[in-house]
Amino acid sequence: MPDAQTLWLISPELVLAIFGLAILLFAIIWRERVYGALAWVALVGLALALAAAVNLWGAHARLFAGMYAVDMFALFFKIVAPIAGILVVLISMDYLRERTRYRGEFFVLLTFAILAMMMMASSANLLMIFLSIEFLSYMSYLLTGFLREDRKSNEAAIKYLLYGAITSAVMLYGLSLLYGISGSLNLGDVALTFSKSADTSVQTLALVATALVLAGLGFKISLVPFHQWAPDAYEGAPTPVTAFLSVGPKAVGFAVLLRFTLTTLPGLPEFANYWTPLLVIISIATMTLGNLVALRQTNVKRLLAYSSIAQAGYMLIGLVAVNLGGSSPFSGLNGVLIYLFAYLFTNLGAFVCVIAIENATGIVEIPEYAGLVKRAPLVAALFIVFFLSLAGIPPTAGFVGKFFVFGAALREGFLVLAAIGVLNSVISVFYYFGVVRAAFFLEPKDTSPIRVAPLVTLSLVVTAAMVLLIAVYPEPLFNLAAWSMAMLK
Amino acid sequence: MLTVNHLIFLSAILFSIGAVGVLVRRNPLIMFMSIELMLNAVNLAFVAFARYLQNLDGQVFVFLILTVAAAEVAVGLAIIVALFRQRETIDVDEASILKG
Amino acid sequence: MLDRYGVIALFAFVAILFPAIPLAMAWVVRPKKPNRSKRTTYECGLEFEDFPQAAQNVWVQFRVQYYIYALIFVVFDVEVVFLYPWAVAYNALGLFALVEMVIFLGILVAALAYAWRNDLLKWV
Repeated sequence: MPDAQTLWLISPELVLAIFGLAILLFAIIWRERVYGALAWVALVGLALALAAAVNLWGAHARLFAGMYAVDMFALFFKIVAPIAGILVVLISMDYLRERTRYRGEFFVLLTFAILAMMMMASSANLLMIFLSIEFLSYMSYLLTGFLREDRKSNEAAIKYLLYGAITSAVMLYGLSLLYGISGSLNLGDVALTFSKSADTSVQTLALVATALVLAGLGFKISLVPFHQWAPDAYEGAPTPVTAFLSVGPKAVGFAVLLRFTLTTLPGLPEFANYWTPLLVIISIATMTLGNLVALRQTNVKRLLAYSSIAQAGYMLIGLVAVNLGGSSPFSGLNGVLIYLFAYLFTNLGAFVCVIAIENATGIVEIPEYAGLVKRAPLVAALFIVFFLSLAGIPPTAGFVGKFFVFGAALREGFLVLAAIGVLNSVISVFYYFGVVRAAFFLEPKDTSPIRVAPLVTLSLVVTAAMVLLIAVYPEPLFNLAAWSMAMLK
Repeated sequence: MLTVNHLIFLSAILFSIGAVGVLVRRNPLIMFMSIELMLNAVNLAFVAFARYLQNLDGQVFVFLILTVAAAEVAVGLAIIVALFRQRETIDVDEASILKG
Repeated sequence: MLDRYGVIALFAFVAILFPAIPLAMAWVVRPKKPNRSKRTTYECGLEFEDFPQAAQNVWVQFRVQYYIYALIFVVFDVEVVFLYPWAVAYNALGLFALVEMVIFLGILVAALAYAWRNDLLKWV
């Protein structure tokens, strides 16, 4: 029987669950008459969940027989998740009105997706990890295929689903081996078995099992070689969903990856010898492949898809250069969290720009962006801000993130890795500049001004302001990241 | 005598058959069946381990894998039906218009 | 010995009579107006001969309606798996488990209500 304290500790999740079901019930009872209002109900729910998560800051507890960790690390992501949700709701209202009859259901699925993100961040048990990942995946598949009349949307959904189903089966096999080795589903107990066992066969099996689990998590984060779904899913999905997919699952995928690796792997004596080179190779492959393929994209959603694959590679550098001992801000993990927070606003902002144009004109091809500066000056100007941030050029949030991630790599002696990271950032400038070049320096065929909806303008301004704010006043974010990391040690 | 080793070996074989099936077939329905085979291999491993370890956690896990797999099939078939209504084929290569 | 087999024979005789008598009575009483669809073997209301010639191979296309029914059935059918452990341990679990199960079923009912409201349970 859970007491009031337990219910209090899961209050963000409870709020989202209740609001998600409430939106579903409203949609069942009143249908089309309230579809316009349901987005606002979802906004209220997400804002309340955000307030509940902020309110819990400082909590440190293990609930439900150790399955569910409510600590500052989880709360960091429980703050990130509703912020992403609120921005996605703001940009999806106008987009959906013209494209689908089922606007109410969209917000049910989105609310539950945010709930699933929170559950992933708190998972401290193999069963909980599996359930929350699947929960988020199913919501993502349905959101991707939400435009049922649209061929691309359906195709994106089926490809996403098949990749997801295969990788989750592979991950489950790894989980079953971990259970077999340790006799427990609890991450802490699994780690304890690893450290106590001197048997080399157990160590080998543990490495195989953790590698299989990495496949499942790599799919969520879109690491090479589990990235193939990303470009197709991103291009075909409704654009607000693409914006959500590029930040939401990636952020909490990292949350699970960090908690999983940092809890269980220090128990493996062979950890450093096998895992570090593996992660270095994956990181380099992810960055390089994402950036090189992005160079020849002409669809802006596809371009941002490859760009977000590359961004996952940069973030992985932080995990490679992990140093649990010291209290330096360059501990790698701080870098990952700071990077994720900066990336959240930057990438969502870039997608808001895409949606602003797509809503009014239906344009998603880069050559058609010609002369955008004359048609929508604000959107064109903010494209520059977000692309500077994605490329990691000051004074933007992206620079702060890259500074800490690459700084950690240098501090831990991964000079080549840091150099490849910087080189990749330089490559990325080329394709980001391609969009800017079309928008600023080419002559438009059609010069009619593009009208941007008020809510989209609002989200544009908010994301751009956050990107610049993090760059000029990053201290609160540093403290946030440092505290949440301290909890994980 | 049937030991845990035999069961884990069988589970590995089943998992491999499923994995090969999903890689070589291009019909999503058959790919789903192969994925189900992979999941059932995992279930077998969990049950075998649970019995060997005298620990019920693994059996609870199997319960949840079963229900989650049913949900996965429901979501998957719903998308396949929507896809079929659009283009009269479900072959994943034939149906592909997203490339690059 | 023989009378024991006699009992079985008697049972077999009654078992054959049991369906035979009503069928025979119906045969005597009913009006006889055969037409094509009455003479076919009953199979889900769709006739093989009704398909166009091109579609008359093994891979006939079924109506999407079947899938939707099957999907709803599978999901609810599998969720029942959670009821069994709860029912077995009901006495040990007490009131709170009952409340939990009511919440669980409530969520399932919400999903069913959604399907119902969207006319997915209506055979068209």
